[in-house]
Order: sequence, then C-alpha cells, then structure tokens
Amino acid sequence: MQEATFNTLADLALKTTGQFISPSKAYLVEARLSNILRREGFASCDDLVACLDARPNPVFEGEVAAALQTRQTWFFRDRDMLERLVGDVIPAKLKQSKAGRLRILCAGASTGQEAYSLAILLGEHSQALAGARIDITATDICKQSLNTARAGTYGHFEIQRGLSVHRLMRHFDQLETGQWQASEELRRAIGFRQHNLLDAEAPLGQFDIIICAHVLSGMSKSMRARAADLLTKKLVPGGLLFLGHGETLSGSTPAFEPSRTHRGAWEVVPEARRKVA
Amino acid sequence: MAGMQFDVTEAADGAEALEACRKAMPDVILLDWNMPVMNGLDFLRALRREAGGKSPKVVFCSTETDRDHITEALRSGADEFVMKPFDTDILQSKFAEVGLV
Repeated sequence: MQEATFNTLADLALKTTGQFISPSKAYLVEARLSNILRREGFASCDDLVACLDARPNPVFEGEVAAALQTRQTWFFRDRDMLERLVGDVIPAKLKQSKAGRLRILCAGASTGQEAYSLAILLGEHSQALAGARIDITATDICKQSLNTARAGTYGHFEIQRGLSVHRLMRHFDQLETGQWQASEELRRAIGFRQHNLLDAEAPLGQFDIIICAHVLSGMSKSMRARAADLLTKKLVPGGLLFLGHGETLSGSTPAFEPSRTHRGAWEVVPEARRKVA
Repeated sequence: MAGMQFDVTEAADGAEALEACRKAMPDVILLDWNMPVMNGLDFLRALRREAGGKSPKVVFCSTETDRDHITEALRSGADEFVMKPFDTDILQSKFAEVGLV
C-alpha cells in the first residue's frame, strides 16, 4: 500500500469515526478492508482510494471508515465491570427509579458479544431484578458488525472466547452449519441500532447507564473529547458511564469525572464546573 | 499448557491417564474424547469414582462438538468443554472459567 493511500484512509477513519490509526498499524488497514476489496473487485487499497478520489461517494466512504474500526471483542471481556453493574449498580438505580425501568446503551457494540453478555447476566439475576424493565440498546457504526450482532450467530472460535460451556448450552442453539445462535429470548432482549458516536443528531434518547468499552481509547484525543461530550447528552441526570478494563477519561475530557458512588463508573461534570482538559 | 506455567504430564489413552491420576491427582485434566483402550468419556466416569477423583478440573477437548456430545460430557462430570480446533486465547478463557488462571 502506498503511503498516500494509507494517509487517505487514516484521515477518513479519523474524520468519520474519530479513530486514530498509527502508520505502524498499516497492515491492519488491508486486513480490515479485505471484505470490501473482494466484494467491490478492487485489487488493492490503492485501487479503492483511487476510486474514492475519482468518484466521491459519502455512503461508501462511511462504509470504508466503519470497516477500518477494530471489531475485536469477546464474551464477558469486561467481566468484573458487567458483574458489578448487574449485581450492584442496576439494583441501586432501580431503587431510585419510580417506574422500575432502566435504559442501558452499549455504545460501540461491534458484533454484539458485550450486549449478549449483559443480557445473559441480567437473565441470571432475574429473581433479584423481578418486576424491573431493563431495555438494552446496542449501537455500532458498522452495518456488517450489526448484522452479525442482530443474528446473534457466532462461529467456532468466537463462541468459545469468554463464554463458559454452561452458558453456551443454556443460551445458544446450534445451527445445522455448526454455528451457534443466541436464543430468541436473548436476541429479543437487545435492540440493535446503527449509530456513530460522533453523530450529534441521532435520536437514541437518553439512558441511565452507558457502556462504552474499548472504543474511546482508540480515538484521537480531540475526537475522544468530542465523543465524550456527546455521550453526556445521552445520559439522564445522575446517569453513569462505564468504560472497558484499563481505560480512563482522566486528562481527556472535562465532561466526566470518576463516580464517588459507584467504583469504576464515570459521572457527568456539570457544565459550570468544567475546566478545559 | 507448559507455556501457561503448568507442569504437564501426558497420557496416551484413558487407561494410562487413570493410572497417572491414581499416582498423583492433577489440578486440571485436558481430555480428548476419542482415544484407544479407554475413551475420554469412560475415563471421566471412572475418574470421578476414584478417591479424590472429583477434585481435578476436567476440560474436555474434542472434535465431537454437537450439542449431544457436549451434554454427555457435562453429565459425566466435565467442568468445561473446548471444541477443536482452538487457540491459546480459548484455552486460557476456558481455564479462567474453571478458576485456574
């Protein structure tokens, strides 16, 4: 891949999804675009970029940018966070909720394993959460990832990463192809929507809890701050943001601060108190 | 497994594995289904009847990956099941499930 091609694609990713791709990760660009190259009949990324230059197409550019995102995820990747969420945070939030209803957003849900892990845990705590209505919305920018997530169908390697055999047998059906599909009950528990974290206009509504794991840390600092600012608008007053293991917003944005009530969670800083990071 | 800081002993079939367990019960057994002399399922049932035979975590590891085979393995006392082929991430994930890493 020519240097100019890499630069064009890296700029496209940064502009569209906020993702920063270092030149040392150029090899990932070809791998992540391989499906699009094959489908569209391009011999190389150089050909694809030449086509984008010659015939600008915002929809196709968006698809290319989405494909450049990392899709790596697995079941119960952030197990401690999810268990804390379901065991402590959600019961506490439900006590404060008059309607007994909570809305949870999994932002940047990729192929759905995180949202299904949450739905599995909620099902396992169903007695303690009896009577509560908990809606899970899972979003991603990539249509292809969302198709996998909606189908809830996973191959041999994906289904084994992070998922115990007991949960596999309880919550998944085996298809004739040998793949495993999330039960209808699990699939019904989650609403999947296409959404770009940098899109201010998306009518998703507001949520009591947002999980945004392993997404913001892949963004450039300025885009991370912008995405965080937009996330504040998707939280109800007192809402909580959860990041992935090892991730932080300290020094990235004045919009969030660590929660004093819930370990590992982030709360929105009132605008009047925000200082520029 | 050696790379994951386990001391590893190999056995060629179920009967040999049972003998090895009688001498020293391991912490974890990675168990194939199809083996000569005594297959994995027969070994597992025999192991669980041995004194101390309920303590090792048994991770079945097989190309027999349909629901019926997996159910049979779990009913016979397996703690986890790895569908072949697999990679190190999957093995580590399964060992984590049984509390070993």
